[in-house]
Amino acid sequence: MSVLLDVRDLTVRFGLPKPSMFAPRPYLEAVRQVSFTLHEGRALGIVGESGSGKTTAAMAAIRLVAASSGQVIFQGEDLLTLSEADMRARRRDVQLIFQDPYSSLNPRARVADIVREPMDLMGIGTPEQRQARVEELFKLVGLRPDQLSLFPHQFSGGQRQRISIARALTTNPRLLVCDEPVSALDVAIQAQILNLLAKLKAELGLSYLFISHDLGVVRHVCDDVAVMYLGKIVEIGARSQLFDAPQHPYTQALLSAAPSLARRKSQGYVRPLKISGDPPSPINPPKGCAFAERCPKAQQICRSTQPTLSGAEGHQVACHFPGPATEAGTAQP
Amino acid sequence: MSALLQIENLQVTFNTRHGQVTALDSVSLSVNAGETLGVVGESGCGKSITALSVMGLIPMPPGRIAGGSIRLNGEELVGASDARLRGLRGSEVAMIFQEPMTSLNPVFSIGDQIAEAIMLHQNVSYDQAFKDAVALLDRVGIPSPDRRARDYPHQLSGGMRQRVMIAMAVSCRPKVLIADEPTTALDVTVQAQIFDLLNEIQRDFGAAIVLITHDMGAISEMADRVAVMYAGRVIEEASADQVLDSPQHPYARGLIDCIPVLGKQETELREIPGVVPPLHMLGQGCAFKARCAHARPRCGVEKPLLRNHGAHPVACHGAEEGWV
Repeated sequence: MSVLLDVRDLTVRFGLPKPSMFAPRPYLEAVRQVSFTLHEGRALGIVGESGSGKTTAAMAAIRLVAASSGQVIFQGEDLLTLSEADMRARRRDVQLIFQDPYSSLNPRARVADIVREPMDLMGIGTPEQRQARVEELFKLVGLRPDQLSLFPHQFSGGQRQRISIARALTTNPRLLVCDEPVSALDVAIQAQILNLLAKLKAELGLSYLFISHDLGVVRHVCDDVAVMYLGKIVEIGARSQLFDAPQHPYTQALLSAAPSLARRKSQGYVRPLKISGDPPSPINPPKGCAFAERCPKAQQICRSTQPTLSGAEGHQVACHFPGPATEAGTAQP
Repeated sequence: MSALLQIENLQVTFNTRHGQVTALDSVSLSVNAGETLGVVGESGCGKSITALSVMGLIPMPPGRIAGGSIRLNGEELVGASDARLRGLRGSEVAMIFQEPMTSLNPVFSIGDQIAEAIMLHQNVSYDQAFKDAVALLDRVGIPSPDRRARDYPHQLSGGMRQRVMIAMAVSCRPKVLIADEPTTALDVTVQAQIFDLLNEIQRDFGAAIVLITHDMGAISEMADRVAVMYAGRVIEEASADQVLDSPQHPYARGLIDCIPVLGKQETELREIPGVVPPLHMLGQGCAFKARCAHARPRCGVEKPLLRNHGAHPVACHGAEEGWV
């Protein structure tokens, strides 16, 4: 199994307004030294709450947001050092599906034109071949060819997301970045899109970088999962390890917070692990572990020293006190 | 004993450019003091319209309550005067909306906004109302409430704003609290905090909660009883355990099966094919027939009624005749 995408120490900084004319410009580090690898034919999920940097990390990895430092090795070359023209040619192999199918399709274009446009831009095939490809893709994603001349507003949310997927597939990409592809859809429609994504992955050998805040969805789609908190990966590993034996208190809190059918009010269910408050501001991140303020296990060292990602190859965690959740959340010495 | 809030055969219609559509079709629901009723369904199923009807907030026109009754503590709300409804809103029935940013006024401090709600319903001075507001902010878990009360909505995070909304909603100790997708705009850890808070508030105040959601997971954790809605009708109603463990209606079953569950790994999710039909194109018979794997000819001609065929009330011919 070969490595498709290898991201090393990716950092993204955004400049903030200067407090005064001669003061140095302050920066916000939205993504801090993020590293992960995505293997051919697999799906890597990036999970985190809003503001955790999951979307920025993925966008920087495909150069839609400028990275400040780091490397992104895609099929053997560093995308961050490519010229604009070379990067343009690479875009054929990397495509995107956005969260909101209502704003990501041009309302004034017919859907056939929307799906064909990437091929027009990249000069792929003859006009007849392009048209045939559009029809083929339409059938692949579960739409009817007689709907080709309609406009986006004539489709439902789920159908629009199918159109987005068809558009992303026109150039035969190796990597598909899915940014919350189902969070704007009703649950019944979510299942349709998730099944379609699973089918396409198996049939076309696609790899996904899958961004979501929904742990259930990530567990269903992804082979590997990275959990982000305030710009950093706090835990990364194979799906089974991360979901069955989470080591980081934040991962445990996320799993405990996600509503589950297994927890019943009638059985007097009490959430096992509660965390209070909101994530700290990324403008002035804490000196130590970013999660220390909300963490039930936090000790002195957590507030002074940042933990680094460590552990075996398949499951790494950035925590001074990793381990299963303990009774009443007290730290194990 | 009659229920605290009793909705019977409520019929709400809207005039649209497609003609008159029936947004709620003989909806009957009830909720007792101290109980949480979960109302679940996809967008457009009528769950929010039900909530707005109880609050007397249906825009008329184009909306119209064409029939049925809504009784709060035995008092009829359908046809009640605007003044009477204004008196009840906030003091007897209160609502928590989905989007805490757009439902707070950006130009008043949050303490002022809560104090306003208190002064509308109780004969107290501004100073007293503001003091009460600070106490409420403390109760809903806002740190340093006396300082925070002077903050404006934009200075608070989404979770804090929703706590302010809850503080405002419970400021006059309403008997019924309607929460319309209270956590959709929030992150999961914050959502968990809000759910825990709603449960605490219910224990303290003994309020009845109507929780409107599309998330069966939320229903499982929060609700005592559940009403499943589809295309303006209640299609199944029972205790949360009954609906989650042995759903009778194919749609309710589909809603539960299509959720990717954290604890188990399936290769393929079971999906409900197709989409909810637009209300003006429902036609005859069962509204779910086009998406139902079990549909038979009878489903195309006769509208199934919510009836108890065994376990609990369900509106399905198949459940009645035993072929679903």
